[in-house]
Amino acid sequence: MTTIQVNGLRKSYQGFEAVKGISFEVSEGEVFALLGRNGAGKTTTMEVLAGFQRADAGSVRVLGLDPVADRAAVRQRVGIMLQEAGFFPDLTVAQTVDAWRDFTAAPRPRDEAIELAGLAGRPGTKVRQLSGGEKRRLDLALALLGRPDVLFLDEPTTGMDPEARRNTWAVVRDLARQGTTILLTTHYLEEAQQLAGAMAIMDQGEIVAAGGMAETLAARGGRVAFRLPPRLDPGDLPLPVTVDGEHAVCHAEHPDLAAQTLLSWAAERGLRLPGLEVRTATLEDLFLDLRESAR
Amino acid sequence: MSLAATYRLGTRLFWRDRAMLFASVITPIGLAVGLPVLMRHVVGTATAVTVSQGMIAMLLSITAFMNVAVALTNRRDQLVLKRLRASRLTDGQILLGQIAGTATQTVILIVACALAVRLLADVPLPANLLAFAVAVIAGSVVLSLLGAAYTAAIPRAELAAAYTMPVFLVSLVSTGAMGPIPLPSWLQSALDLLPTTAVVTAVRTGDLVLPAVDLAVWAAVGLVAIRLWFRWEPRRS
Repeated sequence: MTTIQVNGLRKSYQGFEAVKGISFEVSEGEVFALLGRNGAGKTTTMEVLAGFQRADAGSVRVLGLDPVADRAAVRQRVGIMLQEAGFFPDLTVAQTVDAWRDFTAAPRPRDEAIELAGLAGRPGTKVRQLSGGEKRRLDLALALLGRPDVLFLDEPTTGMDPEARRNTWAVVRDLARQGTTILLTTHYLEEAQQLAGAMAIMDQGEIVAAGGMAETLAARGGRVAFRLPPRLDPGDLPLPVTVDGEHAVCHAEHPDLAAQTLLSWAAERGLRLPGLEVRTATLEDLFLDLRESAR
Repeated sequence: MSLAATYRLGTRLFWRDRAMLFASVITPIGLAVGLPVLMRHVVGTATAVTVSQGMIAMLLSITAFMNVAVALTNRRDQLVLKRLRASRLTDGQILLGQIAGTATQTVILIVACALAVRLLADVPLPANLLAFAVAVIAGSVVLSLLGAAYTAAIPRAELAAAYTMPVFLVSLVSTGAMGPIPLPSWLQSALDLLPTTAVVTAVRTGDLVLPAVDLAVWAAVGLVAIRLWFRWEPRRS
């Protein structure tokens, strides 16, 4: 079942077209990553879907409803973690959560929300004293208070330390397992790769790549990298490589087979391929390839 | 339930903000009590009554109008309003909670000041207490509403207090709270249309009909302005 539906969405600000007719769908219980550089149009798309902006053209539906016209109904089932939004600085973490619980029907217990967001040791701390990462976690706590069916996460782990980031990933995975549909934007490509089952990459307001995460990456093959042994001519290798200084990289559809070929060839000649590393394509490879091809 | 929640939150935040408490509670109380008491001893009871009733306009323009305008502009620019809109609150609940909280505080302050002036200097309370109560409640609501609407004209939070200053000064002049200031008749007629003047007129005369019409028109103006121009986020540069 489709939970989020975007069809031909366009949005401009003061003559600048931030989103240029994009379309995508997110299924129930899916984690969908919207990726792209700063200014690609991700946050604008998110804000239209969250009902903060009205689309100039095209249609958007969340849970089958118009997020602007049916805002009150949509809000009852949606949690939103904004990229930029303020808090009341003089309230503590617990007081902030309590205030938001007042706004929410059947909210999670305060302590549960605080613990879920990884702020269990900070309930009495004033918001103005929280770090940037802790404010993101408080934001997450507020977004999760109403046990939403749909969660919009705009750069959810920006400013978090690695441990907090991984804890947040665990929360997101757990929510997805329970059936929450999650739309995520992030600068951290590893985060998208870890969490999302599907993705779209935006550039200058358009979607330039989209699909299932595993299929998209598998289709791009992988690479074998190693340091070139001394006095070895790269042209003598059994597979074509690109050389950067003393490092050689072999791009291959099946990197495991390519590694076997290279290692067998080296063994027959009594050579070693130091620092050998085999990996499938990452989202970062895809992202950089797309940027390169756009130039 | 959510309207009550925003009302409680707005009230709680109001009493925590020391800077705003000084500007919109301590200072106005000092003026609204101190000046009539001074006038009673220096000039006489009649002048003290005029100034005391004129001070209602000052309290309305500071404690209601300026307070709402500054609070909402700050929250708009700090993106707190945006975060509130990401919750399950409706826009109406967010604004009404703030307006109702501020109006309540304004009513309490005006009544407290009138009682204080009565107790400290024996300046009589308004003759028609019902008209006083109705006008003060309606005026507090309308001025709070207009303060919310006025935020659309304020470009940045740090300018909010300065932008409300003309409203404060005009309100004082129009009601005679600063003493008799000779004004052209056309200007006095225009100032008589201000909502603060309507409230003071109702308190002085006990007549509620014309002030009620005046306040209703201002309330409609405020609602339309909010509908058309209220901004929930700072302008995108």
